[in-house]
Amino acid sequence: MRTAKASSYAYIAPAFALLGLVLFAPVLYGGWFSLQNIRYGAPTGYAGFRNFERLLDDPDLADILLRTFVHTGASVVITIAISLALAVWINRLSPRFGYVVQIVVIVPWIISTVVAALLFRWVFLNDIGLAAWLARSIGINNFQPLTSPAGAMALLVAVSVWKRIGYAVIILLAGLKGIPDDYAEAACIDGASGWQIFRRITLPLLKTPLLLVAIVLTLSNINTVETPLVTTGGGPGDATRVLAISVYERAFVNFDLGGATALALLMFAGNILLVVAYVRLSKWKA
Amino acid sequence: MAAPSAPFRPKLGAAASLALVLPVAALVLVNLLPLVWGVLTSIKPESAIFAIPPQFFGFEPTAAHYERVFASGFGQSFSISIAYSIFAVMLALTLAFPAAYAFDRFDFPFRQGLFLLVVASIPLSLGAAALLIPNYVYFVHLGLVNTPIVLPLIYAAHQLPMVIWVMKGTMEGIPRELDEAAIVDGASRFGILRHVMLPLARPAFGAAGTLAFVGAWNEFVAGSVMIDAPWLRPIQPLIYSFIGFFGREWGPLSAAATLAIVPILLIFALLGRLVVSGLTKGSVKG
Amino acid sequence: MKRHWTVKFALLAGLAAAVLGAGATEASAQTIRMWTFLNPAGNAPREKALAEIISAFEKANPGAKVAVEPQVWDQMTPKFLAATQQGTAPDVMWVITDLLGDTIKSGSLADLNKLFVDKWPAGQKKDNAGAYWDLCSVDGRQYCMFQSRNYIGLYYRPDLFKEAGIDAAKLTTWPAFIEAAKKLTVKDANGAVTRYGFGQAWSESQPDPQIVIPYILAKQGNLFDEKGHARFATPAGIEGLTLQTEMVTKHEVTPKLVTGWTVDDLYEQFSAGRVAMITGASVRVSTLQARMGKDKVGFMLFPGVDGKPNSPGVMAGWAVGVSSKSKNIDLAGKFVEFMGGPEADKIWVGVGGQTPGLASTAGTMPAFFADPANAYLAVAGKGASTAGWLAPIAFSVDGYRQLLNKAAQDVVVNGMTPKAALERAEREFQRRNNR
Repeated sequence: MRTAKASSYAYIAPAFALLGLVLFAPVLYGGWFSLQNIRYGAPTGYAGFRNFERLLDDPDLADILLRTFVHTGASVVITIAISLALAVWINRLSPRFGYVVQIVVIVPWIISTVVAALLFRWVFLNDIGLAAWLARSIGINNFQPLTSPAGAMALLVAVSVWKRIGYAVIILLAGLKGIPDDYAEAACIDGASGWQIFRRITLPLLKTPLLLVAIVLTLSNINTVETPLVTTGGGPGDATRVLAISVYERAFVNFDLGGATALALLMFAGNILLVVAYVRLSKWKA
Repeated sequence: MAAPSAPFRPKLGAAASLALVLPVAALVLVNLLPLVWGVLTSIKPESAIFAIPPQFFGFEPTAAHYERVFASGFGQSFSISIAYSIFAVMLALTLAFPAAYAFDRFDFPFRQGLFLLVVASIPLSLGAAALLIPNYVYFVHLGLVNTPIVLPLIYAAHQLPMVIWVMKGTMEGIPRELDEAAIVDGASRFGILRHVMLPLARPAFGAAGTLAFVGAWNEFVAGSVMIDAPWLRPIQPLIYSFIGFFGREWGPLSAAATLAIVPILLIFALLGRLVVSGLTKGSVKG
Repeated sequence: MKRHWTVKFALLAGLAAAVLGAGATEASAQTIRMWTFLNPAGNAPREKALAEIISAFEKANPGAKVAVEPQVWDQMTPKFLAATQQGTAPDVMWVITDLLGDTIKSGSLADLNKLFVDKWPAGQKKDNAGAYWDLCSVDGRQYCMFQSRNYIGLYYRPDLFKEAGIDAAKLTTWPAFIEAAKKLTVKDANGAVTRYGFGQAWSESQPDPQIVIPYILAKQGNLFDEKGHARFATPAGIEGLTLQTEMVTKHEVTPKLVTGWTVDDLYEQFSAGRVAMITGASVRVSTLQARMGKDKVGFMLFPGVDGKPNSPGVMAGWAVGVSSKSKNIDLAGKFVEFMGGPEADKIWVGVGGQTPGLASTAGTMPAFFADPANAYLAVAGKGASTAGWLAPIAFSVDGYRQLLNKAAQDVVVNGMTPKAALERAEREFQRRNNR
């Protein structure tokens, strides 16, 4: 049982003070900003919901949302599947070798996002890169992965997965290390197969780290503009134009600060709803 | 704490081992090749960087790109970023510790709701480029723009939700009997925090601290907008200055990026094991 | 044990505090702040030029100090607009052409006529005359001077031209250009193309103008009507986009990959010898020459239409002005004047490899301009004076290059007709700019 204690607020107040100052207050300010008429980068008067209404004028909005869903959904599912397998495997390795593999796994995650995406693109996708050169030297000449809409989306997902596997593996691995070995040993003696042990024992015990990973992966895939901007720039055509690119374009190509702020706020609201939905659906308790 | 027992590892069949080798080889290739390529690029003369066929050896190594990087103020940005990141990590840990304790041990009105609020602020901490101008204006109003404390404050707030999550998780694994025993011995709540929880939560400090350090170190948007004075400029804007208006300059870009991952690799080399054991306790609870 | 690690934490905190507290600088009344994307501490040619100019200025004005605060180039102009409102703007600002109109209209820049132009002797204004000067003149006020002038034309490989017997000066029509591009396209024994004749960059991230734009400008004189409406889906536009996309689909002198290439990719392809000609910006010639050798990078204007020798290339660059909120406005004006003056122009050209801003500069550096490796400066200069186009600043035209690139992608990847693709681009342009 938790101790009932009114002075608890003193314990959490400092943390909330910082969150309020740096994270919550700017959102409120952004909310005010989005209701203003923005001219030349400065608010010039109350505009009501005009900035929000203008968002609906975008005829591609539904397509953009669908592509965002495809990109994020595919990236999250694939990242979790691979990182779970990796984490389970690393967990079986000797500590020393496991540690080496762990370092290899986190490399893409610790390099600055833009540099990492640029390097990936150069080495694996560009036709003056290593992969294309290898392909040519074994007689494959039509190495043009980014020229088809489906191919471009697949590669964008690949880059997103590659960049974030390291983070997911670290958290899941930590979860796995916390599961006492005697559970699996006992089940093994009872004749359970490796898969059954994983399905019935390991997976349920990983719920908390899996939830954290799922939330962080979902949100970072939705919100990060660097990966799609560097990898495909939204093309070809509109094939990889996702929500993050749309916000970025409003802010830095069309300099529509009012619209960009409005859209960014709606995205925040959506993000928070997603978090709540994840927590509810997983029946997770704080 | 008890020494960890040897992990339980069921034997793998030969076929399964073989099935593992291929994906693992692919993983090593996909993760390390871009890194190796980046490091090689950083010591190549301009004329060799885009040579076809791609050159692994046989070029005259040069330190010119590193000289250029240091001439551009890399040393100052590197040290100030270390300072920012350490400050941010300490602040986040200091604020998160009592908050996590209260969320785990005490009961108070709105406990669930407030914890959900912490979780829901994860998307806010991802930092949206679209809110850059409203955010800038907000921090100008606070008088914090272009000061040494603005980035540590922002980074600490960005990392706080994750740190609270990880710490609370760890505390779930620390038996409450210890608290009660301490109270019987006449310890104050602060005494419990200081003498019981602090030593036992040490792994969580290491783990959350490491993850937070990586986050603060790699942050770009706030670092580029909130700072004007060169001596306050953190490392990521400096790296990205080599993807400038006049094009990306792979030589200095890869040199700067290579140097920038050294502190992270060091942190992982020193605290890597802590990361895993630190998150362990918190993640077990299903 | 526990003491041990808390002590370490405290030591780290102390270290961090020491570093944070160490570098505080004192700003005197004679210090002016400048925002630019150039870092005078760096050692790239333009950075060295800026550092030299600043030290020459400080020497000529004892007590004055110019503090450069390097910024991220694509964020700094919006940030400047916000900073002007908040009173945190620098004294001297570099403004990107795309946002110059907004910046002037917002009242963020001071009138240079009052600060120094009105005091100039008769010839000096004439020395500055040209399209860039005019772009900064609005309603009788002079808001800025350009410090970086860019001309979008074509890069070519002089060595490969020689090998194939092509004379760059004779490529004055598109058919002749296509013929040359075909000659320069090389296949290996398996029929795989090892080198393409003409590279382009159609990605939407930070694009430069591609050939549909000079084509439209040559045929109809503008891209927008006087109300700011796009004029893309016109007969000239359709012909231009057909020309641009048939380089891939019909003539096969451009790889389909260009749908995803950014400008940076394109320069890298050129550096790797994978393409013999590319669309390119005059400001980057010196960089590529340093990388590939001075004899391997040439610069020429776009072929012409209807008997004209050249089509207009798009000009752009960075305009430098004085903040209207500057507390040190006279000194800031003095510095902008100096940075655009004859002494500094010579440094920009000789050290920085930039095109001269003053008509008189070429005459004072005959040896420099006689060097064949620097011929591109004369070509860009000729283009700017005879066949150049600056995007209008009376209304915003943000995103037009992106939309025209997307139209090209739509044709090649999604099989749209040039007309349909351009109509879509036009509609989008109108919508995004609220017209």
